[in-house]
Amino acid sequence: MGMIGATLIRAGQRFLSSLPALFGVLVFTFLLMRVLPGDPAVFFASGPNAGKEEIEVIRKQLGLDKPMPEQLAIYLYDVGRGNLGRSMMTGQPVEKDLKERLPASLELTLTALLIALISAVPLGVVAALRPNSLIDHGVRLFCSLGVCVPTFVSGLLLIYVFYYLLGLAPDPTGRVDIFTTPPPARTGFLLIDFLLAGDLDGWWAAVRQLMLPAFTMALFVIAPLARITRASMLVSLGSEFVRTARSVGLSRWRIVVTYALRNAILPVITIAGIVFSTMLGANVLVEKVFSWPGVASYALDALLVSDYAPVQGFVLLMASVFVVVNLLVDVLYGIADPRATVA
Amino acid sequence: MSLLISRRLFPAAAALLAVTLAAPAARAQSRAETLRYVTGASVNTLDPNIPGSTREAFALSMSSYDRLVSFGRKQLNGKWVFDLDTITGELAESYAVSSDGLKITFKLRPDAKFHDGTPVTAEDVKWSLDRCVTAPVLGKAQLLTGSLTSADQFKVIDPLTFEVTLPRPDKLALPNLATVYPIIINSKLAKAHATADDPWALNWTKENEAGSGAYIVETFKPGEQAIAKRNEAWNRGSPDKPASFKRLIIQSVPEPATRANLVERGDADLVIDLQASDVQALEGKGKLKVISTPQYNAVTFISMNNKIPPFDNVNVRRAIAYALPYDDMFKAALFSRGSPMFGATWTDGKPPSGAYPIPQPVKFDLDKARGYLKDAGLPEGFSTTFSFNVGQASSAEPMAALVKESLEKIGIKVDIQKLPDAQMSTAINEKKLPFFTEGIVAWLPSTDYFYRNFYTGNQRWNYSSTDNAELEKIAQAARFEPDKAKYEAAGKELNAIHFDQMLQIPLWQPAQDAVMAPNLDGYVYQFTRQVDYRNLSRK
Repeated sequence: MGMIGATLIRAGQRFLSSLPALFGVLVFTFLLMRVLPGDPAVFFASGPNAGKEEIEVIRKQLGLDKPMPEQLAIYLYDVGRGNLGRSMMTGQPVEKDLKERLPASLELTLTALLIALISAVPLGVVAALRPNSLIDHGVRLFCSLGVCVPTFVSGLLLIYVFYYLLGLAPDPTGRVDIFTTPPPARTGFLLIDFLLAGDLDGWWAAVRQLMLPAFTMALFVIAPLARITRASMLVSLGSEFVRTARSVGLSRWRIVVTYALRNAILPVITIAGIVFSTMLGANVLVEKVFSWPGVASYALDALLVSDYAPVQGFVLLMASVFVVVNLLVDVLYGIADPRATVA
Repeated sequence: MSLLISRRLFPAAAALLAVTLAAPAARAQSRAETLRYVTGASVNTLDPNIPGSTREAFALSMSSYDRLVSFGRKQLNGKWVFDLDTITGELAESYAVSSDGLKITFKLRPDAKFHDGTPVTAEDVKWSLDRCVTAPVLGKAQLLTGSLTSADQFKVIDPLTFEVTLPRPDKLALPNLATVYPIIINSKLAKAHATADDPWALNWTKENEAGSGAYIVETFKPGEQAIAKRNEAWNRGSPDKPASFKRLIIQSVPEPATRANLVERGDADLVIDLQASDVQALEGKGKLKVISTPQYNAVTFISMNNKIPPFDNVNVRRAIAYALPYDDMFKAALFSRGSPMFGATWTDGKPPSGAYPIPQPVKFDLDKARGYLKDAGLPEGFSTTFSFNVGQASSAEPMAALVKESLEKIGIKVDIQKLPDAQMSTAINEKKLPFFTEGIVAWLPSTDYFYRNFYTGNQRWNYSSTDNAELEKIAQAARFEPDKAKYEAAGKELNAIHFDQMLQIPLWQPAQDAVMAPNLDGYVYQFTRQVDYRNLSRK
């Protein structure tokens, strides 16, 4: 009990200490967007007849006619009330856009991370058990290939093979086949919503749609996870407690899994946390290739057209996700290694 | 424990990909009656008047809303294109222009109804057009070009008769009413959602549709898709029956290669924004129907700001015009898909036509270019930047490389700048770019319109920053010239000035490549450079 309490207190402290950082991100992004040379008003006033008057109308609508400190004050006040502004690009409030798109990104990233962990950890363990063997080299080759092929190449390749040539995959456009009726939105996670609605066909359609992008993303992150598992397993297998375990004649399975892996998993958790946050923000290429309506492609589109509000909202969201993921990693740490709570 | 599971799962996960993908997809039966259109852009508002509307939003509004009148179609080199000179009634059953050209009277269709079942009346028309010229919307600047500027010009005669008064006869007044913006809105519905801050209900129409058009919007997810169903009561199409497709899906697919795959596999029916190389390949395979129409209301330029040295010197501009490897650029940028605006021969050096744009009598000739550069007093050349926007990169990037390579041969050192779209528009608007490539488009392409909008004033679309009193005078006078021969003569004069001063260099009119399922019929190239979904049917 005391252990869990200590973990929670630690998590709470970490959360409080991250608040100033979030505020900093907020102000910094705000300023950065305004320093960038593109003027959203000019870009969006791009009908064939848009002249000076239209540009002024849009500038006023965006509040860009006011002095910058005033704009910042208004922005902070709005964010405080949970209003992230309106996107010119989609015409929707940013928080609505992000709320709709974040589950799409999370669902994809979590699935990809799960696939990556399920394949990377055993790969890393197998490689560590027989260092410098053929298996080890095989794993290394696979990982290198995965990480050096950019995701849009592997994505297009998977589409070409599984959709275009074999016709096995559904068309790579979005989260669910366009002719399937989406379930009533409860959580925003289609896999969960379909189950809640009791629509198994729909659930299956969503799973099929998810497979190609998830594998594309997983391929890219298997490498760091497998490498770190291997390295930390090597240390762990060479340590004295494993030698002791061997000498008392414990089964091989027990030695490897219960003693070696449990001790080796800490760095893997850390890396998985970092990989997850990075994937969520940086999977823009996968989202583009598979027309996945996620937050990253949304932010990129907004950035290209200097649509301030969505970019600011996205950066704030990502910063918050990083904070949450770090907290989660802290908690998992405590569970995996009770000694960590003391530190 | 968890590892035990993952160990067992590992081979399963490896097989998962193949297994999950092998199951047959559940297809709705109505596939044949559905038009699935995929695009790299997206619909961002249901009201095309909202500042920031995308072209896809324009296209959807053509189907969800009716206007008083619409353009007919004609054949141009064997392909159907919109016809500015044939204006047919849409919500108007008929219209009449008074003999002095100052009054246009519209008789509305008595059977026309909005999507909620209420009849369309002259009151709705008045409210909608008042809004178009009064509210802070895109329509204002457009209707201005047809002398429609004030609510006083619109009058309700009776519930089915509506009258427009003009300050002077303007041949663009009627065509303007057929453009995207003057949609006829269900005024009772819209007024119910108006607020004190927003008397014209712009915030509501942005996300809600209140029209009488051929399709009723069902789902609208900005950035993802819009789905509409057929309005069975609609009879404004040419044969007086509803649109052919029961359902319309407009889906955003950002990756061009994926769009090409979709249409080739038959999962999508129509796409108009593929990369030129993909179009070439698909056309070669011969499985799909490809209709390439030169965008005859658009031009791509190499523009020079006539006010920034050394481009303020006409001989420098001429030198550039003769130093461009046009054929290579055309091939590299567009796989020669379009109509070239170079390599013409003008007898006696006079423009053969008063139309705009017309092919220019320029060709790749480095010696001539060197001569002009010498006349300009810059025989050693100079350094400059050449800019294009990221959105155009697939065609502009190879072209920019060729421009750089070729100009280097006459001593002009070019630094290529690739700018994000918003940054490029800002720089153009602020007149900061000396040398760049951009395109223009006009919905109502007439010579005077092009010259008035793209060659006058200190505004964004005057890429060349042209400030030529004579040109301005001729173009303004031509606007209200009723005599066709005189208009043609004025057009020729304008074209002669353009070439003599080498204001900017027209390169080509890129083709609109519509790639579609072989059984799709009725595609017409529209002024919006988008698909009018109402035209299409399946054989």
